[in-house]
Amino acid sequence: MTDVVCLEAAGRRFGQGHTAVVALHPTDLAVGEGELVAIMGPSGSGKTTLLSLVGGLDRPTEGHVLVDGQDVGALGARDLARLRRHEVGYVFQDLNLLAGLTARENVSLPLELDGRPTREAGAEAMTALASVGLDQLAERYPDDLSGGEQQRVAIARALVGGRRVLLADEPTGALDSITGESVMRLLRHHCDGGGTGILVTHDAAHAAWADRVVFLRDGRVVDEARPAPPLG
Amino acid sequence: MSVRYGLLAILAEAPNHGYQLKTDFERRTAGSWQLNIGQIYTTLQRLERDGLVEPLTASDRHAATAAEPRGAEARTAGPRADERHAYRITAAGRAQLEAWLDQPVITEGPPRDELTIKVLLAVAAGDIEVTAILQRQRTASVEQLQAYTRRKAQADPERDLALLILLDALIFRTEAEVRWLDATEARIRQR
Repeated sequence: MTDVVCLEAAGRRFGQGHTAVVALHPTDLAVGEGELVAIMGPSGSGKTTLLSLVGGLDRPTEGHVLVDGQDVGALGARDLARLRRHEVGYVFQDLNLLAGLTARENVSLPLELDGRPTREAGAEAMTALASVGLDQLAERYPDDLSGGEQQRVAIARALVGGRRVLLADEPTGALDSITGESVMRLLRHHCDGGGTGILVTHDAAHAAWADRVVFLRDGRVVDEARPAPPLG
Repeated sequence: MSVRYGLLAILAEAPNHGYQLKTDFERRTAGSWQLNIGQIYTTLQRLERDGLVEPLTASDRHAATAAEPRGAEARTAGPRADERHAYRITAAGRAQLEAWLDQPVITEGPPRDELTIKVLLAVAAGDIEVTAILQRQRTASVEQLQAYTRRKAQADPERDLALLILLDALIFRTEAEVRWLDATEARIRQR
């Protein structure tokens, strides 16, 4: 299995000397192609910091974070933006969509920002919406979509243009169990199709959709769960 | 208790006999509860004693087999002698089944399960590394959740409804266990 995301003793501290706060101690983690990894831990355990380092929203103060072999911490602003537009998609708990744009416009936005012609971007957005089962609702505005539908639009936007790495920070947090499950099925489907996913959650039932569950405490990996091999 | 009402619920739909009651019960409960045929007959005898079911007469049986769409399947699935022991629900049985379905289930009393007691004793002991115990349990519980979730991912939402509902029950119970472990750890750290 090829490693798509790789943390090599990657850490993040804020401040210097005796006032320094360590959000993430030097951590090793490799996530391969086709793999979904969940990060679980209480508030302040470093899980969102870890995700921000992978997504290039933050830089490690120690070690390296590699995405598709590129050292994210060493990239300049322009290359970092390119990485986010082409390789890494983000889904948050809420505030994912722009209220003044339709579902299709929200999804095509990253492509248009990348300089793609509007018509071409719109067509690709429709393909991405179809992949999450929402092509029928493409012209709706976010306010006219349910929470689960909005989250599926957000996933379509995160993956549009062939991005393979999906980073999700509590994507099911505001949803009921069955709707949350449908979002998890999409993440699973993305990874089963050869994509790579990292999911941050405090919900064990949703984390259980992952191939591995990494437990963080006080900025350190303390354990990892893998499913038992099937019986018989 | 549940076997008794399980048989009443199946008989409320159509008269049935021992072997078919066993397979129907197991199918409806998604294979979570395997019964032996002896349990079925003992339960049927008690239900009959209490006036909640009654044996079919010869003429009833003929009518039931003609009307029952699964009649052919039932005849081939069970031993022939079993057909002589077909039962139907009585009005009293129907009333008791409805009363049971209407009554919410309340689990009373403090939990006595091994995990709860183990954690309480570990916390009280003071010199035991409780956080490590909690984490080992958390990892094991999440691995169990992963196994349930894999079965869920493979299930067909149309055909395997009973299995999906059963897996949800197991998943939410295990998830509750993990939440309780998380809360316990947070309380210990707050001290």
